[in-house]
Amino acid sequence: MASSEKPPVAFQHPGLCHPTIYLLRKMRSDVCSLLESYVEKQGLDANFNLDSIDGVPVADAESWGELSDAERLGDNLKTYWAFQVLLDEILEEQRSNLTPTDVAFHESIQSVILQVSALAYQLEELMVVLKHKVPAKELESTKGSNGKGLFEKKVRGMKVLQELAQWTVRSIRDLHQVSKSLQTDNIPCESRQLTQEK
Amino acid sequence: AQRPSQQETHIHYAQLGTDVTLLCGSVDQDAAVTWTANSTDLDASHLNGSRLVLRNVDLSHSGQYTCYEGPSWHVKYRVNLRVGLPPKEPIVMCRSNNYPNGFYCSWHLPSPTYINDTFNITVVHDSKEIVCKKEMPPKNRCYIQFLQVFSTKKYKVTLTASNPLGSSSTTISFDEFAIVKPDPPENVVAKPVPNNARRLLVSWQYPSSWPDPDSFPLKFFLRYRPLIIDQWQHVELSDGTSHIITDAYAGKEYIIQVAAKDNDIGTWSDWSVAVHATPWTEEPKHLTTEAQGAETTTASTSAFVVPPTTRLSDSDVTDR
Repeated sequence: MASSEKPPVAFQHPGLCHPTIYLLRKMRSDVCSLLESYVEKQGLDANFNLDSIDGVPVADAESWGELSDAERLGDNLKTYWAFQVLLDEILEEQRSNLTPTDVAFHESIQSVILQVSALAYQLEELMVVLKHKVPAKELESTKGSNGKGLFEKKVRGMKVLQELAQWTVRSIRDLHQVSKSLQTDNIPCESRQLTQEK
Repeated sequence: AQRPSQQETHIHYAQLGTDVTLLCGSVDQDAAVTWTANSTDLDASHLNGSRLVLRNVDLSHSGQYTCYEGPSWHVKYRVNLRVGLPPKEPIVMCRSNNYPNGFYCSWHLPSPTYINDTFNITVVHDSKEIVCKKEMPPKNRCYIQFLQVFSTKKYKVTLTASNPLGSSSTTISFDEFAIVKPDPPENVVAKPVPNNARRLLVSWQYPSSWPDPDSFPLKFFLRYRPLIIDQWQHVELSDGTSHIITDAYAGKEYIIQVAAKDNDIGTWSDWSVAVHATPWTEEPKHLTTEAQGAETTTASTSAFVVPPTTRLSDSDVTDR
C-alpha cells in the first residue's frame, strides 16, 4: 500500500483495535481471578514452579521489539487458537473428575473460552484487513495431559492459565506496536476512562 | 621515643566488643618492647610480655599501633587495627523504571559495619545467569537488561555482603511484571482557566526514563486538595497527560500531585513533585461608595462555606 493512499479500512474505522484492547483487559482480569480460584480449588501452591511444563504457548519473547507486524499478529492468532484447545481440555477435566459438581467454576472457564475465541476472531479479521497472511489453523487437540495423573493435570491447567494471563499483557503491547508501526490514523487504542473518586 | 625507620604496615581487623591481642611481629614473648597507639605511648598495663592486649574494643581503638624493640628501640612491627562488625543480612530491591528495557537492583546494609564491605550479586533467570552491570556512582546498584520480556519465569537475585569479619547474603525472587514501577510524571503544571472560578488545568509529561510510551502507555492518578483541607480528591486517567479539575473551591490555593503506572502491570510510581495553583478570580471592579457598601454586605455572606460532604480531618493524607 502506497503511503500516500488512505490507511486500511480497519484504521478508518477506529473500532477494531479499541474493543480488542478492551477485550484483552477484560480477559486479563477474568483470567487472573480464574487462576486464583483454580489454584485454590485444586489445592495448589500459587508459587509452584511451572517452568518445566511444556506444550503451553509461552508469552516470553527475545528481541520482541524487532518482530514484524505479521509475525506479531500471526503469533498471537496461533497462540489463542492453541489456548482454545487447552482451555477446552481444562474444562473437560474439571467436569469429568477434578471438580465435577462446581458448575459456577465451569462457567467461569467457559466465559474465558468464549473471550479467547472472540479475540482469535478479531485478530484474524485484523490480519485479513491488513493483508497479512493468516496462518493455518491447526486445531487438533494437543491431548497434552493424556495419560497424566490428576496432580499433573491440575498443575498443567495452572500453567495454561498463568501463560494466558501473561499473553494478554503481551498482546495489548503487540497491538500498540502494530498501530504505532502503521503511523496511520492513530487507532484510539485507549479510551479516556475517568473514574472520579471523592 | 625517636625510632625512625620504614616498616611495612600490617592490617588487623577486630570485632567490636571483643578483646584483641596484637603481637609484636616475630619477637619473643618476653622480649623488651614498647607500643604506641597513633604515636602515643601506651603504658605497660596493656602489655602481656611483648604482646599488646586491648579489652572490649570499640571504634576509638581503631588506628595505627607501632611496636619498638629494645634496647635500640627501633620499629619492629606496625599494625593498623580496624574495629568493626561483620555485615548483617543485606537488603536488596529490584525495580524496572524503564520497562521493557531492563531493571536495576540496589542494595544496602541495615546497619553500618565501620569497615570496608564488598558486595557480590548474581541474577538468574530461566536457569541462566545474567550479567548485572555495576554502575559507578552510586556504588551499590547495578543494571540488568531484559533478554526476554513477558516471561512467567521468576528472576532470582542473590546478594552477598562480605568484609574481613564475615559475610551474609540475601536471596529474593520475583516476577518480571511485579517490579515494573515508573518514575513519577515530570513537568507537572497547574494553571487557572480564565473566566472559570472553579477550574484548574493540570498537565504533565511522561517520565523521561519511560522508553516507549506508545507501546507501553501509562495511566495516571491525580490527587488534589485545597491547602486548607487535609482530604485529597483523586481521579484516575487511563490516557492523556492533562486534566481539568472542575470542582475546585473558588479562590482557594490548591496543591496537586500526579502518579503513574503501567496500564496493566506493576505498581504506581511515587507521587510527582507537588505544584500549587489557585483558580481564576474576577478582577475587583473600581466602584462608587454606595455600590461599594452594598457590595461589601454581599461579599461577607458569600464567604467560603465547606460543603457538608467534605470532612475536615487532621489525619495524614491517605494514599490512594
